[in-house]
Amino acid sequence: MNEIDFRKRVYTDPAAADQEILDSAASNPDLQNILNQTQKMDEDMRAIMSAVDIPNGLKEQLLSIPEAEQARSTSSDTLNALAEKPAANSGIFQYFAVAASLMLAVGITFSLTYSPDYTPVPSAAEIAFGNDVIDHMYHESNEIEAINSGLSLDSVGMSMIVNAMTGVGTRLVSNSFIAKTPVRFAKPCNIIPAYDSAHLMVEGSQGAVSVFVINNSPVSIEFKINDDRFNGIVVPMINGNMVLVGEADEDIGLYKDLFSENIEWVI
Amino acid sequence: MSDIPVLHGTTKKQRYESLVAALYQDVYRYALWLCKNQPLAEDLVQETFLRAWRSLESLQNDKAAKAWLFTIVRRENARLYERYRPELVDIEGQAIAERDENEPDFKMDRELLHNAINRLESEYREPLLLQVIGGFSGKEIAEILDLNNNTVMTRLFRARSKLKVEFGIDYEELN
Repeated sequence: MNEIDFRKRVYTDPAAADQEILDSAASNPDLQNILNQTQKMDEDMRAIMSAVDIPNGLKEQLLSIPEAEQARSTSSDTLNALAEKPAANSGIFQYFAVAASLMLAVGITFSLTYSPDYTPVPSAAEIAFGNDVIDHMYHESNEIEAINSGLSLDSVGMSMIVNAMTGVGTRLVSNSFIAKTPVRFAKPCNIIPAYDSAHLMVEGSQGAVSVFVINNSPVSIEFKINDDRFNGIVVPMINGNMVLVGEADEDIGLYKDLFSENIEWVI
Repeated sequence: MSDIPVLHGTTKKQRYESLVAALYQDVYRYALWLCKNQPLAEDLVQETFLRAWRSLESLQNDKAAKAWLFTIVRRENARLYERYRPELVDIEGQAIAERDENEPDFKMDRELLHNAINRLESEYREPLLLQVIGGFSGKEIAEILDLNNNTVMTRLFRARSKLKVEFGIDYEELN
């Protein structure tokens, strides 16, 4: 066996060295060296990849999933009976229910502070929520394009803004705010079924900037969201959260500060 | 790896418990190497086993269980990262350092190799992780990654070739 073929077979799976490989190695010190080196490297790789501390309690968390699922199923039935509305079977209900069941199972305390230098990261449910918000941006693409292209430069009145925000339990703190920051779009939205949300759009430097205010959504930390087109930020608030999304180059932080200071919870 | 029985028991719960006991550590290791983030890896593992519990009736044999779980981890990871792109950090380098602190050269070698693995492009790293952590055959890796067998073999060959180029000096001096 020549060296190239030998390398191909050994590099593909060093642990599966058959008799032909062993015979070739035995008859050629260079090939024997290649085999030894590669097997040693694999042994080290295996040790490195296994040198991962398994989190304490993970096994117990996983073992408690059946009970949590049972509890989720029971509470879901109860809520369905009480609510008597289709929203109880919605996607968000399911992922809140899953999150709730995991919390039951895991006893999660949002263990985001396990070491002093730990930077909190969003949970899977929070990331899924961020994905849903970005999805919603594409549902509103006509309005966004109208603002971006300058076709929709009319401001909506305070009554529309109030109507959109009341359902969420929020309001803008002053009329003067919208005089300085004209709102081009305002309506109640259904980003997450069963949870009220308001969707406002203002004109940013790169196009429309959306401001979502959502009550009781599953967000515990501030985190960024983005895709190829949009960038945004999810900001936990007192009774829910605010999400700001604009075009990729928009400085969303400016709007975060602006709206954080001018939105008030009234529930 | 595939011969390890992982679905013992007569009840669904017993079968699930044996599945967790047999595979949760490997599933977690794979998840962590894939997403490089401890809390996300835990989320991925929980979501994976949640799905496993819900669909356990459809899982009829031991040989399919591990590949099935690894496939779920991989898909969930891809879904999570579809729109969320955090700054990733190197994982667990400190764990290696702590364990081998009395052998500085050995520790340094391991750290260099660790970094070299992390620098591999995902198309080469993924089949390598599946082979080394999962113990999967080329055919099983091909099924998990939805690639043909020859492509997997080529990528495994190139993965090790790249590692040797990046981190080959010490190994070349072995003999």
